[in-house]
Amino acid sequence: MVVRKGIKVTVAKLRKGLILSIGVIVVLALFPIIGVPRVWLLYLFLFFIYLTMANMWNLLAGYSGLVSLCPAAFIGLAGYTMTIMTWLGLPYYVGILPGAIVAALFAMLISIPVFRMRGIYFAIGTLVVPEILRVVFLLWKPVGGPMDGGGRGYTVHGVAEVSRSQPYWLALAIGIASIFLMRYILRSKFGTGLAAIRDNDNTAASCGINVFSLKLYSFVIAAFVMGIAGTIFYIYQGFIEPTSAFSVRWLITLMLATVIGGEGTEEGPIVGTIIVVILYFLLARYAEISLIIQGIILLGIMLLAPQGIVGSIRETRTYQSLFQLATRR
Amino acid sequence: MALFADLSTPIVMGILLGGLYAVIALGLSLVFGVVKEMNVAHGDLVILGSYFGYAGMTIVGIDPILSLIIGMPILFGLGFAIQKYLLNRAFRISMDATLMMAFGISIITQNTCQLVWTPFPRGLTTPYALKSFNIGPMRFPLVYLLDFIVAIAVMLFLRELLRRTYLGMAIRAAAQDRKAAHLMGINTDQVFALTFAIALAFAAIAGVFLGLTFPFTPISGMPFLIIALGVVVLGGLGSIVGTFIGGIAFGLAQTLGGHFFGVAAQMLVAYTMVLVVLAVIPRGIFGR
Amino acid sequence: MGEHRRGMSEEILLRMSHVDALHGSFQALWDISLSVKPREIVAIIGANGSGKSTLLDTISGLVHPAKGNIELEGKNISALEPYQIVDLGISQVPEGRRIFPDLSVLENLKIGSYNRKARSERAENLQKVYHLFPILEERQAQLGKTLSGGEQQMLALGRGLMSDPKLILLDEISLGLAPLIVNELYRVLKEIREKGITILFVEQNVRRSLIEAERAYILEAGRVVLNGNVAELREEERVKKAYFGA
Repeated sequence: MVVRKGIKVTVAKLRKGLILSIGVIVVLALFPIIGVPRVWLLYLFLFFIYLTMANMWNLLAGYSGLVSLCPAAFIGLAGYTMTIMTWLGLPYYVGILPGAIVAALFAMLISIPVFRMRGIYFAIGTLVVPEILRVVFLLWKPVGGPMDGGGRGYTVHGVAEVSRSQPYWLALAIGIASIFLMRYILRSKFGTGLAAIRDNDNTAASCGINVFSLKLYSFVIAAFVMGIAGTIFYIYQGFIEPTSAFSVRWLITLMLATVIGGEGTEEGPIVGTIIVVILYFLLARYAEISLIIQGIILLGIMLLAPQGIVGSIRETRTYQSLFQLATRR
Repeated sequence: MALFADLSTPIVMGILLGGLYAVIALGLSLVFGVVKEMNVAHGDLVILGSYFGYAGMTIVGIDPILSLIIGMPILFGLGFAIQKYLLNRAFRISMDATLMMAFGISIITQNTCQLVWTPFPRGLTTPYALKSFNIGPMRFPLVYLLDFIVAIAVMLFLRELLRRTYLGMAIRAAAQDRKAAHLMGINTDQVFALTFAIALAFAAIAGVFLGLTFPFTPISGMPFLIIALGVVVLGGLGSIVGTFIGGIAFGLAQTLGGHFFGVAAQMLVAYTMVLVVLAVIPRGIFGR
Repeated sequence: MGEHRRGMSEEILLRMSHVDALHGSFQALWDISLSVKPREIVAIIGANGSGKSTLLDTISGLVHPAKGNIELEGKNISALEPYQIVDLGISQVPEGRRIFPDLSVLENLKIGSYNRKARSERAENLQKVYHLFPILEERQAQLGKTLSGGEQQMLALGRGLMSDPKLILLDEISLGLAPLIVNELYRVLKEIREKGITILFVEQNVRRSLIEAERAYILEAGRVVLNGNVAELREEERVKKAYFGA
């Protein structure tokens, strides 16, 4: 029967896909060991970190209707938590989870004022938050002496001796985990509820969906996972200071990655992050020009292909006929 | 009595500073109220105005206020082009698209300034920028008074523009009911482009006076954007008087915050007030 | 209200041919064809949701037809922007009046003649509108939002006339108004027609439409289901049953 054959084909495809993915992951994990050039490791590291964060930003903006301009808040806070813990004598890996938890708790805290704001006001409300944190951490020196903290930033204790491969593996792990997390969320009841909210808050509410809780879950989950990625980033960098930790550049990178790839699509962040990292690679020496080009690309995408690369492909006739072919009963 | 005199300096400073904030916020308010776009690049565009003043001073050797003769038309033209070719199109797609496009403009502006003028802090240091004046026993920087006077002048200008010209009437109409404005034969694309252009011309003025008052770097735009956001939301959309009062409110919040909690914390007080305003007043005191 | 050619009965002022139009992502008009001759009074009758407003919006250029053509005096206007269509002489008095609430009565009228051609005749047209609606002159300094419903409708109509139109589109002008005021409005419409302006109006009130118009189109779910002289329509069995419960 055609149906059974169709299922068999799909399962076989899935198995192939799974084997392929596991193969790729194993190869990537082996990279540091087999002596791949350091530069490769750096860019792969960045790729997985940004991918994690982009997936979370996509969860918020693309699926929950929460265009949040405050990712830097979660990233920077988690990074600072981890760093402070290393100053208290703890090894760096102990700080990862607390960092994420602090970010999640902060998300819950600011959701109180910020979720009262509708639409565009939510966006600009979230814009203020990282800037507040930036000023706070410029002034507040929780640990260290007069030559530490504030504008001078903190070094992360205990990472200088650690090889580059450990944070790399951590990044690989969280990157892959974020992909699976997104898959899982989107196929769950949670995900369907989010899709309803994204289309129309009020209609969703009248269907019995608790809009506020779902949005809050998204917000907190995203903060948590971004927090993990943030701590890993600062473990690698070994240094944190307020202006770059809470900078709007985090937002730009994530926004660009998600939008280029395609907001509201699963594969979008992957495609977008690849492009963003390639851009970094090509323009590594020219920071300002790189950012100007990113800005121009953002404008270009908004004008020419606002649904992003993946979104545009989905709309083409070729894709649609292929899709119909693949799912035909 | 001593406590009173203690407060009077920050109060007067706050009111005068509020004038500067009102001018900075005016362009943002105009665009948000009329075109219904939130221009997150506004802070960076004001700083661009500051850099134009700086260029006038260092390259041509003229007073930055005089350099506005060139700076304003440039920013006017830039604003017209941005709205007409970029933001108008984004608006047809979605509100999010305009937000993201504004972000794109923000990054481009910031980094172009950084490329040209480096991250080193600059200031428009003219002879009069260092002078001060007296009210009784208190001394205030002269530029603060200039900022306040300019604020009043610019607002009067805008009010007359909106009230007495046909374009001003069209702007008001398009702000009140876009569909009806279409039916009146108003080319809203054009009107919005002109509105944005006017807003950026105001940003040029704001930039010069900001530069006279404070040192600035390519990334100075964000703090002023945030305060401008607070001013616009507190003052209410479409209200010039509201923007003025909002500006003063935030000026006072900053100076009094600095007075009670220390200079370092003054921005925090202002920022917290922005958050509170955004959470509590979606429509502003004077708005519709 | 300006010189208009006395049209021959064969001349068509406005023609819609096989127009499809979308309202958002929902198709509101299906294969609409209609025509209006100069100095006619034509009605479009239909219940809520039948696509009446979308039809007027499509003529005014606020919505572009997904299929089909719209012609004004033989010239294709389907792709034009709303302000260009006003320039060519089509004015719409929208549903709900939509006068500018924070502009004065005088400003509302002035903005009606925003387009270049009408601006030069503004003072003249203003006097004509005041002649038709004296109450507007009385209230000229008042803000739009302070007027009563009937006054706002008069203002909306007066505003629509300020652009010196050849064709005026009216969307549900009787909505929410007392019959006496509605009578007065339709009397003014006849007066306007005498001055050479063509009238196309949309109404839910079937009786009123069949009295005031000469021809009518009946719209149901986005399609024209009946059309013709109002005398014929009044006798039509379907109309009688559907709208008069015969």
